[in-house]
Amino acid sequence: MIEIRVGQLADRLGVHRNTVTNWIRSGKLRATATVGKKYLIEKEALLQFCREQGIPDIVMQTVSEFSSVPSFGNAHTPSSPFSHTPNQEVTMSAKPIGSVLVVGGGIAGMQATLDLANSGYYVHMVEKSAGIGGVMSQLDKTFPTNDCAM
Amino acid sequence: MVEVSGDVGNFTVKVKKNPRYIEMDKCIACGLCAQKCPRKVDDEFNMGLNQRKSAFIKYGQSVPLKYAIDGQSCIYLTRGKCKACEKFCPTSAINFEEKEQIVTLNVGAVILAPGFKPFDPSGFDFYGYGKIRDVVTSLEYERLLSSSGPCMGHLVRPSDRQEPRRIAWIQCVGSRNTNRCDNGYCSSVCCMYAIKEALVTAEHTSGGGLDQAIFYMDIRSHGKEFDRFYEGAKAKGVRFVRARPHSIDPGQDNHGVTLRYTTEDGRMQVEDFDMAVLSIGMEPSADSQGLAGIFNLELDHYRFAKTTDFAPVSTTRPGVFVAGAFQAPKAIPRAVAEASTAACEAAVALMPSRGELTQQKTYPAERSVSADEVRIGVFVCSCGINIAGIVNVDEVTKYARTLPHVVLAENNLFSCSADTQELMAKKISEHRLNRVVIAACTPRTHEPLFQDTLMVSALNPYLVEMANIRNQNSWVHQREPERATAKAKDQVRMAVAKAGLSVPIQRSKVNVVPKALVIGGGMAGMHAALSLADQDFQTVLLEKSDRLGGNGWRVNTTDRGLAVRPYLESVIERVEKHPKIKVLKNAELKTAVGSVGSFVSEVRVDGEERAVTYGVAVIATGGKESRPEEYLYDEDSRVMTHLEFDAVMRDNPAALKKAQSVVFIQCVGSRDERRPYCSRVCCTHSVKAAIALKELNSQMNIYVLNRDIRTYGEREDLYRKARDLGVIFIRYDVDRKPVVRREGDDLAVDVFDPILQMPVSIAADHLVLAAAIEPNVTKDLVELYKCAANADGFLNEAHPKLRPVDMAVDGLFVAGLCNYPKPLNETIAQAKAAAARAATILSQTEMTLDAIKSFVTEKCDGCALCLDVCPYRALQLEDYQGDDSRTHRRITTDPALCKGCGLCAATCPKGGVYVHGFTLDQLKAQVAAALEAA
Amino acid sequence: MSEKFEPVILGFLCNWCAYAGGDLAGVSRLQYPPNMRAVRVMCTGMVHPDLVLEAFNRGADGVLVMG
Repeated sequence: MIEIRVGQLADRLGVHRNTVTNWIRSGKLRATATVGKKYLIEKEALLQFCREQGIPDIVMQTVSEFSSVPSFGNAHTPSSPFSHTPNQEVTMSAKPIGSVLVVGGGIAGMQATLDLANSGYYVHMVEKSAGIGGVMSQLDKTFPTNDCAM
Repeated sequence: MVEVSGDVGNFTVKVKKNPRYIEMDKCIACGLCAQKCPRKVDDEFNMGLNQRKSAFIKYGQSVPLKYAIDGQSCIYLTRGKCKACEKFCPTSAINFEEKEQIVTLNVGAVILAPGFKPFDPSGFDFYGYGKIRDVVTSLEYERLLSSSGPCMGHLVRPSDRQEPRRIAWIQCVGSRNTNRCDNGYCSSVCCMYAIKEALVTAEHTSGGGLDQAIFYMDIRSHGKEFDRFYEGAKAKGVRFVRARPHSIDPGQDNHGVTLRYTTEDGRMQVEDFDMAVLSIGMEPSADSQGLAGIFNLELDHYRFAKTTDFAPVSTTRPGVFVAGAFQAPKAIPRAVAEASTAACEAAVALMPSRGELTQQKTYPAERSVSADEVRIGVFVCSCGINIAGIVNVDEVTKYARTLPHVVLAENNLFSCSADTQELMAKKISEHRLNRVVIAACTPRTHEPLFQDTLMVSALNPYLVEMANIRNQNSWVHQREPERATAKAKDQVRMAVAKAGLSVPIQRSKVNVVPKALVIGGGMAGMHAALSLADQDFQTVLLEKSDRLGGNGWRVNTTDRGLAVRPYLESVIERVEKHPKIKVLKNAELKTAVGSVGSFVSEVRVDGEERAVTYGVAVIATGGKESRPEEYLYDEDSRVMTHLEFDAVMRDNPAALKKAQSVVFIQCVGSRDERRPYCSRVCCTHSVKAAIALKELNSQMNIYVLNRDIRTYGEREDLYRKARDLGVIFIRYDVDRKPVVRREGDDLAVDVFDPILQMPVSIAADHLVLAAAIEPNVTKDLVELYKCAANADGFLNEAHPKLRPVDMAVDGLFVAGLCNYPKPLNETIAQAKAAAARAATILSQTEMTLDAIKSFVTEKCDGCALCLDVCPYRALQLEDYQGDDSRTHRRITTDPALCKGCGLCAATCPKGGVYVHGFTLDQLKAQVAAALEAA
Repeated sequence: MSEKFEPVILGFLCNWCAYAGGDLAGVSRLQYPPNMRAVRVMCTGMVHPDLVLEAFNRGADGVLVMG
């Protein structure tokens, strides 16, 4: 059983609070009102509902994880299903660290590294072999232009 | 990777750094260690086709270009004796005492891009890989073709080193196979690389009698311009055989192979080939499994990182993102785009700390050289033995001393090494040099390094000139050392002549307006706007209609079955409420002037004009489902398109439940003369719809008439599921399309079944047409921004592989259907990637432009001949008041638009406009110097 | 003529393609005769007709403009 406020559930699912209220009013989402404007929702019912709405599994898990601890206060709020954005995601006491670790020095790792370094983040790149370049450096040419892969 | 703790914003990661046994800052990549190393091992870079030493570099152009010693095979490290490399290393860089280190890093976010493992076909005994020498994998074949590969680009087969004439490619080895391996997915890249390899092979081999055959199940050329490439290959004689060979046997005398297969119409065939290439798929690597464990990430059933269609690069752990083939098998462009997507997600998560840990390099103030006499210093590089082994560098150095204005000429072992850089800086100040010539390798890679050396020495970076005596001399004239030396002297003389005339040039700067314009309010535009706004950049979002959402309103589910509409509503709500986003509906872009960092546009909103200034723009004008002209569409209400079908499924599924027979026709308007491209999304859409219908009513007969089923990546699961549910797939040829007719009140579809080898007629209650996706009209935008679209009207990226979201015009980015048809998850990924690329510009307050730009001289009389030839619209005509107080005309150039091509300079009959660093005088001086000896 | 004719060729090479190709030839160790002297330009578009004439004037046997 999950005890949760409409706003909290809305945040977690990344929808407007009115949407959640409508779901509950129309009976789409079965929930019983309790004290303090909170609702009690059967865990299974919520999971079922989420599946019907096509809300990804991860989110269902993050919501259900909180079933036993209904204190959503200012500690650590899990992410919204739809995007990881700072305003929705985490209310951190300290500022985040402005650096990123990139694991892998192939074409994808290199591009991510360049983009981050060029937009003001320090990047640590880790590559297991003695040089970067990955599999692309082993290719002869690339289609459709037949440019040299190197 | 050893250990990870913490959360998004503050991870602590422990990394084990393996010893290289060669100190990076001392290694000058001379290659002596590898030359002297007595131990040979298989070269994994060349797929074991040749051997390397234990002291090695991965490949010739390795970054970092520093050698390493492979501890697994090194004789000293395994048996305690040898150290040959240590004796010969000229810089004492060898350090056998190096130990592995544990490095602890504090980072705010993590991007995992561990790549993939090429499938190992050794387990398939029926293909004979590992037993038959002339059976190779496609990656081995790439190395055989490569000019830097084991046979220097002269293709030979392994068994007898003869040039193969008849080559077979076998597709889907280790992909789309749940029988012999558990890789049920399509690796998405093998069809295209096989076609490419076949075409490149044809270029490599001369003479007739070539036969390249590709044995396939479906050709999946679903990328931009890929179908043209495929059709081109067919036209060039590459043979495409729809068959899956069941075994490969050794050919006669153990050379070549014999292939057995069954054709589509059931005939058994035996064919001989000189060699066979197995088109191996991608697998998640063992490393990535380990990473998933360390990071505590969930993986999907194929062991790729688990993500969702709405957050395509977010793993199940907040703050940990994934890029490349670990997310799903994919080709280079998507890997590059999604790497930018991951960068965007990380940047959004760490936005408050942007710029806190990075720093700018500072240089001393530039010394003025204009009043001084020209004092040139020449540094001739030996590049280890690379140059000195052929060219007599002492002779060249001595010769340089005799040239006019040269006050110093010296030889360095490695001009690019850090200590030589310091030495050069010292010489520059000691001898008060004010021009520098470096005779070494190519300016294309090393000029920035030497420019930096000059800047450190308080000189303008454009006072250095390079003579390319390595790449374009010692390396290509290895058999003629004397003539190479003579050429090197000429090259140095030319560089000195040019350097004598060089003047300091300032790199101009433009202020960056930290605002973005996003054109198009569909899924792509909204995601781009949100990602920019979440990075704290003010964003204006233009939508031509009166509501946001675009095609998102009409699609029911994503490829993995997530409901689109609730998500769309949440995105629209976030966009409309975001304090950093201004949404302009009923808006139309009227003008666009300016260039990267600073654009101004007039926008008409509800009939009123308003001006918008912005530093970058993301174009996401979208596309639409085309209206079919065939198959009784518009004539019979039972014939509908995908989106119309989706609407019925959404609003009135009961109407479909009763149907007994539903027919889907694929490629309606795609892959034909009108639209010679694949619309990419329709196969998955039809397969998904077929499954949905089967789930409504399992008794329903469903037919999918197709040319190839292109359910790439893990979408292949849907195709398999549909077949398991009893959906019938019938292939048709483009020159034998199905015919739809009315038989009384009933709809009938006639099609030729290639398996049965006879025509069949299917009664249909509903007919669903997979109508082509076409771009919304982009002509006006192309005109306004001078950007480019392809023949089909899709906006072009700057480079199809390496810059998949940038446009050729700096400061413009592209996302979504206006670039090419793509499913929602790829659209979202591309939109976020565009935001990341845009942020690299917006996060700077001013942008430094390259200084190689055109400039106008006092000789310009405003004849405007150059105006017409400038391809970048960088020139303008202006009136000005002369000293004689009369009005004159002349040209002005916009350095932000100018790319320094010099078309204007070559057109100008009177020396009115030149390009910095390449003035006519400088080029003439080079010509004169080159021909002095002639 | 007893001596073999060795032409003097002047090449204008575009930085982005022909010059890059020249570099790649080096990386690939493709061998060719050392008769050409290359002038690097940022685009063959900047090769003024005067430059070509100048080259012939000064005795070039051939001029290559590659881009």
